[in-house]
Amino acid sequence: MNPFIRHRLIDNNAALVQLLGLCPLLAVSNSVVNALGLGLATIFTLTLTNALVSIIRPLTRKEIRISLFVLIIAGVVSALEMVMNAYWHELYLALGIFIPLIVTNCIIMARAESFASKQSLPKAIADGFLTGVGFAMVLVVIGAIREIIGKGTVLDQTDLLFGAWGAALQWRILPDYQGFLIAILPPGAFFVLAILVAIRNKLEHKKRQKTHESS
Amino acid sequence: MDKRGWTIPLTLALMTLATSAILFISEQATHARIEQQKRQKLLRSLQTIAPPQRYDNDLLGSAEPIFEPEALGHRKPRTWYRGYKNGQLSLVVLPVTTHKGYAGDIRLLVAIDAANGTIIGTKILEHHETPGLGDQIEPRKSDWLLQFIGASLSRPDEKRWKVRKDGGEFDQITGATITPRAVTGAIRDALVYARAHLPQWRKQQPGQAHAPPHADNTETKRTENTP
Repeated sequence: MNPFIRHRLIDNNAALVQLLGLCPLLAVSNSVVNALGLGLATIFTLTLTNALVSIIRPLTRKEIRISLFVLIIAGVVSALEMVMNAYWHELYLALGIFIPLIVTNCIIMARAESFASKQSLPKAIADGFLTGVGFAMVLVVIGAIREIIGKGTVLDQTDLLFGAWGAALQWRILPDYQGFLIAILPPGAFFVLAILVAIRNKLEHKKRQKTHESS
Repeated sequence: MDKRGWTIPLTLALMTLATSAILFISEQATHARIEQQKRQKLLRSLQTIAPPQRYDNDLLGSAEPIFEPEALGHRKPRTWYRGYKNGQLSLVVLPVTTHKGYAGDIRLLVAIDAANGTIIGTKILEHHETPGLGDQIEPRKSDWLLQFIGASLSRPDEKRWKVRKDGGEFDQITGATITPRAVTGAIRDALVYARAHLPQWRKQQPGQAHAPPHADNTETKRTENTP
């Protein structure tokens, strides 16, 4: 895999390695549809803010760069909130406060400050998109694990996101399953995230040992 | 001050202006559709909480501004709806808002039987409660809200219109204290309001004493007439 892509999706994954943006990650990963909804919104926001930050590079003086980034991020998220309210009304209601809270996701500020403000437009867009995908991937995986353990379903209420045909995607894996509530409650988010981080660290450790032995 | 110093406030001002312009355009572009989405949701909500066999008039067409919106927690004028069966007032649908939610206002619709003041149905229209906790008030996530159906101010007693934790009759929600308390209070407010006004409402005939239609109402009617 291209190192530029691999770095953003796996090796330096925003959620699992940099541990950024954990508030929305932990809060809305209680079902796949919520995770996917917020994941897509984050990808969109991150791509657009990175693009705009890159475009205004000539205007960005060191002293005011943070203010400008805040302005851009707040503007993009507010516009996104209105669009979601208009076109994905039910999902917008389901995600509630976490749509406007995308503004506080520090991945967005981190990418603007450390990458987009120094790079050309295509690179900034690619970076925003891929970092967002890396974040959304982890979000959906945690959402799937929590939904299966907590409710015994996958993709429940997908119609909120995709309309009528989304309902066909709903899949009850474990019929007559009462649900293990803690997986849906906030502690479940911490447990699942901790397990994923632990697995990643284990794999990373093994890989390092291998390169060490071969060299 | 050197020349560079002036560009800083100027840049900030221009960028603020540009962002405001973009937000203004987005607002203009989405406003109508957001309103339409809210109305369609209201239509569906009315149909789910007030069974069509209980009234034979045009429920949405009966919309009127609430006389005392503050009593139901509204800061702005809001509309209520009344259903008639064979010329008799059979049910009323009241919108209630509570400001005691965990994250912002919770808006509900409460349908009340006009004959005996019991609850026919309730529906959460809008809330921003914590996913996985407070959002259990939504009927599609748990059946917590259904326990209010059939309740009235005499069953349970008005003083026992609280969640169990506060010494009342109603179930609470694990992990959420504030949300069920707010919703229970809001539903009680609707019943209290209905009890105060029902004697007067029963005397009015369908189509009588209609206040001049609110801008909202005409919009709602139009939506309903489109197939």
